Amino acid sequence: MTDYWLSKMFFDLQSPSAAAEYRADPGKVLSNYPISDEVRGRVLAKDVAYLARRTNPYLLRYFFFAAGMKDDEFIAKLRHG
Amino acid sequence: MADLAGAFAASHGPLLIREWEAVPPEQKLRLGNAFRALGERIAAARPDVLVVVSPDHWSNFFLDNVPAVCIGVGESNEGPPEPWMKAFPHRELPAHPGFAQHLVREAMKQGFESSVSHRLKLDHGVCIPLWRMGLERLPRIVPMIVNSIEPPLPTLSRCMAWGRQLAGAIRSYPEDLRIAVLATGGLSHSIGEPTMGAIYEDFDRETIRRFASPERELITYLEEQLPSHGNGSEEVRNWLVAHGAAGAQGFELVDYLPVPKVIVGCGFAAWRVAA
Repeated sequence: MTDYWLSKMFFDLQSPSAAAEYRADPGKVLSNYPISDEVRGRVLAKDVAYLARRTNPYLLRYFFFAAGMKDDEFIAKLRHG
Repeated sequence: MADLAGAFAASHGPLLIREWEAVPPEQKLRLGNAFRALGERIAAARPDVLVVVSPDHWSNFFLDNVPAVCIGVGESNEGPPEPWMKAFPHRELPAHPGFAQHLVREAMKQGFESSVSHRLKLDHGVCIPLWRMGLERLPRIVPMIVNSIEPPLPTLSRCMAWGRQLAGAIRSYPEDLRIAVLATGGLSHSIGEPTMGAIYEDFDRETIRRFASPERELITYLEEQLPSHGNGSEEVRNWLVAHGAAGAQGFELVDYLPVPKVIVGCGFAAWRVAA
């Protein structure tokens, strides 16, 4: 299932200024989108495997790159939750 | 009349820029040589226009509207939006609206409806190969965006057929122009999925071999194999467009090497163009 608003946030955070804003205050940026409490919690918990089922894989990677996660950690979370 | 000046392919991937310094020296040398060799072949073909076939990596389109094929028909297009592509030397890439509009019109007559854009952001898919090839003079760039990122993806047969449309539009364009095709992307890689980092070298080498096979065999092989060899391998659609444009006579492999540091099976090809 594709979560449109989660994907939209990931898409928007490709902008360096938006990504910087997210890194400074993730909760504030998340509040700009009608994302469910469950999904919001998973974003804040960096639950890569859960979010992978709800968005495009390229957007998922961009988001965690923009959020400052290294590829090794990202891949480990994708594989092992 | 315009002529098809050549058809080429090169892989792309963000880590070819972001992790370039971390690539082992021997692989860096081979990659550099392969990009340069392709650049020399393109320069020798003296194209006035280069049709670059690439996916859009969420730079222009979002879930609101994801075209299967979009052709850039504007006067020029923007350089790459990615912050790590800031050093790319062109912020504005002149295009060729006359040929691009002709391509759209001629394709439409044959039942191939593309979307059009009068201004695209040309992301790393287009710009990494152009950058690494070190072309002294950049031809006018006509972008042809083929969706290999967000399903539903255009069928492989359709991509081959688009290549034939492209060749037909080149032949029927009245201006005396040399037009080349550059497909970018592939071969195997996996992005944002549990297999991320995997490179399927056997698949890549077999895919390269199969490009010398009859069209139906090639398509059947890819239809069976692509779903299990990383989502990035879907970009081989762009190679099929070049293959179709060149008359499906196979290509000369400039080089192939799996590069774990950039998580891409990197392929470089120059087609034998039908006379």
